[in-house]
Amino acid sequence: MPNSFVVPALCACVLFFSASSSAATKPTAPVRVPGLDQVQATTLANGMKVIVWTDRDIPNVALYNWVRVGSRNEVPGITGLAHFFEHMMFNGTARRTPGEFDRIMEARGGSNNAFTSENVTVYQDWIPRTALDLVFDLESDRLANLSFDPKVVESERGVVYSERRLSVEDNNAGFLVEQVQATAFVAHPYQFPTVGWPADIQGWKIEDLQKFFKTNYAPNNCTLIMVGDLSAEEGFALAKKYLEPIPRQEPPPPVRTVEPEQLGEKRVFVQREASTPLLYYAYKSPAANDPQGPAINLLMSVLTEGDASRLHRLLVEEKRLAIEVDGSFQEGFDPGLSWVQLTLPEGANVAEVEKVLDAALDQVVAQGVTDAELARAKNLYAAAFWKQIATINGKALLLGSFDVFEGDYRKLFDSPAAYDKVTREDLQKAAALVLQKNHRTVGVLEAKP
Amino acid sequence: MKRHMLKNAAARVAALLLGGALAFSGAAIGADSTAAVGVKVPANQRFVLPNGLTIVLVPRKDVPLIAFSGFIRGGVLADPADKPGVSSLVAGLLDRGAGKRNAFEFADAVAGVGGSFNATAGSESISVNGQFLARDRALMIELLADALMRPRFDAQEFSSYRDRDIEFIKSAKDSDPSQIVGIYGRAALFGSHPYGRPQGGSERTLAAITHGDVVSFHAGNFGADRATLVFAGDLDPKWMKQALTAAFGGWGKAKAPAVALKPAPRVTGRRVVLVDSPGSVQTYFWLGNVGVDRRYSGRPALDLVNTLYGGRFTSILNTELRIKSGLSYGASSRFTRGTVPGEFAIRSFTQTENTAKALDLTLETLEKLKHDALAPDMLESARSYVLGQFPLQLETAAHWAVTLADLELYGLPKDYIEGYGPALARVDLAETAAVTADAFPRPADLVIVLVGDAAKIREAAAKYGPVTEMKISDPDFAPAKLP
Repeated sequence: MPNSFVVPALCACVLFFSASSSAATKPTAPVRVPGLDQVQATTLANGMKVIVWTDRDIPNVALYNWVRVGSRNEVPGITGLAHFFEHMMFNGTARRTPGEFDRIMEARGGSNNAFTSENVTVYQDWIPRTALDLVFDLESDRLANLSFDPKVVESERGVVYSERRLSVEDNNAGFLVEQVQATAFVAHPYQFPTVGWPADIQGWKIEDLQKFFKTNYAPNNCTLIMVGDLSAEEGFALAKKYLEPIPRQEPPPPVRTVEPEQLGEKRVFVQREASTPLLYYAYKSPAANDPQGPAINLLMSVLTEGDASRLHRLLVEEKRLAIEVDGSFQEGFDPGLSWVQLTLPEGANVAEVEKVLDAALDQVVAQGVTDAELARAKNLYAAAFWKQIATINGKALLLGSFDVFEGDYRKLFDSPAAYDKVTREDLQKAAALVLQKNHRTVGVLEAKP
Repeated sequence: MKRHMLKNAAARVAALLLGGALAFSGAAIGADSTAAVGVKVPANQRFVLPNGLTIVLVPRKDVPLIAFSGFIRGGVLADPADKPGVSSLVAGLLDRGAGKRNAFEFADAVAGVGGSFNATAGSESISVNGQFLARDRALMIELLADALMRPRFDAQEFSSYRDRDIEFIKSAKDSDPSQIVGIYGRAALFGSHPYGRPQGGSERTLAAITHGDVVSFHAGNFGADRATLVFAGDLDPKWMKQALTAAFGGWGKAKAPAVALKPAPRVTGRRVVLVDSPGSVQTYFWLGNVGVDRRYSGRPALDLVNTLYGGRFTSILNTELRIKSGLSYGASSRFTRGTVPGEFAIRSFTQTENTAKALDLTLETLEKLKHDALAPDMLESARSYVLGQFPLQLETAAHWAVTLADLELYGLPKDYIEGYGPALARVDLAETAAVTADAFPRPADLVIVLVGDAAKIREAAAKYGPVTEMKISDPDFAPAKLP
């Protein structure tokens, strides 16, 4: 196999669950993450990376195509195009009429979906293993021969606008996220909503689509993941037969813009029909592959994951200032945002809640977290990891995510150990890095008077 | 997203999935859609303790987790008729202080070891679901027994939790109209029948519920004879049996008589409930009638017809409302099947200005379904689809725990799972025609609910039947007076 390499089975990856600090947690024998020896990868002559994880529990395969394009690759005037493009990938090729892709796949027992983020577009097929050949035919056809029927472009515009109305315009939470994100960045395209601004949804043209396809849907910009009831040889042979003939293209231009440092808090205030006010903080945060990533994720877990988390206890249970607390570290190719999101009861005094929230966050920066909090976050991570690798869908998400964002799918198998190494000092450092008032955007949504 | 949007579009990896062990024994590997024909319920041990508690143990070694799924019969069905929401509060309060732990200590004990514990009230039962690392099996059983047998129902926790639930309903109205339209739909269709009650209560009923209501619901309806617990995953049945017997052996029986469900009649004619949501830019609509129950003999044929009508991406509904017209991001239909017939419901949404157009198109699809014969190739397509997707629903130990608990709740045999594939394989056009005639409503017999800007759609709504109007800010999910 010239132009390709196969990752040999590595030595057993051993990891330890955190054992000491939580009262309820007993020390356990080391547990090996199963599967690394069942994963193989190759790169096709045209530069497409292919990864196969054999898992024969059910007679199905999850086939994901991760394309390194998202709303991060857009410019004003074509915001939302990456997401619209995701829809158009189901709408006809030179060989097949619009809708045939879905009709053929469903008639052979398969289903599919896709999602777009700021960073990537991911196409997902869940099929009985006997439909593998067919699905490769379908997938290679749309990568090689996609075509744009003007009538379909118009009706799909309506579909996407309806999606925007559902998730943004008739949705206070979605509306505020969009406003905060647009306010947080002055230069970087992370300011664009992935679904697109209304005028752009109504305005993009077929030429925009054609150009976007040519630029971004190069096979060398894709990573194909297969998990399930197939061998690596089988998966590689199909990829070679169907996908390797698609010629390599010039890779898409890198996103050059670097967001300049934020030098003071920004605020965005929204008034809409509403009962329950919203208070969102979005802090500038490092990129996904930052070495502090695990510490930031664990910090967000300590603060907001579950009823035992620090902010839930304080704001929801003790002070009854919020009805719900959420948080996340939004990981991407470029530095992005970490969110703390509060839903408040009707009639809440938002300024008062802000004071309490700020004091709690200042305390984390000043004093860090407790051993028990850190142990809980680590155990929640470990359990979530095991739940996710129990399904072919979860495995495909993890493989793709680690390979695309961290550069190597094998890091997945080291990830529980990497999280286990994180210390309280690391969390305090992460808190000092992320929770800076000068680097945040505060969003408030209240009822129209 | 092709089908539905992530909450934060940039979430790098979607929601974590339920996990567990391998699901297939003796599945026919390599046959196209016949794969699901070989689905076998995994080997398990089922026993009933002397106090009446049913326990099912399913050892499946894959990942080091044990999943549980159980239920206590009753649920919304056992709520006082004028106070729906009591069972939901009981479910939510089970883990907010139980046994020797207060609310925080309980939450910390669960999350501290990476576990999960969830209790929710459904129409006919309160269900409990969760997952723990296998090494924490003793703690898992202790917590589960405390939550079910010894919840504290602390008065402070009660009032704070109830008040928060009221705010959650308001918050859902602010941000999730597509999710709440079904609550209005069931209320309009079933009226005072238990299936019509809002499962989580309404702002009004929650406000009226007292601490005493919650305590007496638990005392009356919780007991070993009403409960079933299923555990699946990395477990040793012998150890589990001993530990479970010790933990639950002393549980008494429920004191209140079990409530029986009577079937609700199907609706004839049309009526419309218009829920005014000022400023809304789309209309969220729901059309339904009473459908079929869990034991419906035509289940395989019905699943195939509903797959074709509104159960998959290329369904007739989604083709008309989304793919061909671009009127909506999505349209679907489903049957909810309980001990007695639940609802058949169609759901979609469209830009306010297109409300009538989308509703007309929806009714046309139903008309066509009722009158046109199914094409043989469509039947084959649906059969392949349902068979091909079936294994994905039974992949993990957690899937099996939920599935086996469901069989126990409705008293269904394991053939409900194992015989499903072969039964799907046998369905012919005569059967699909029979279930289409029998289970799907005529377009003339529908309850229609519209959530949208009434000032702009009031006139259109009147085309579809007598309209009863209410406001989304009303503290109930049904208008004060239904016609």
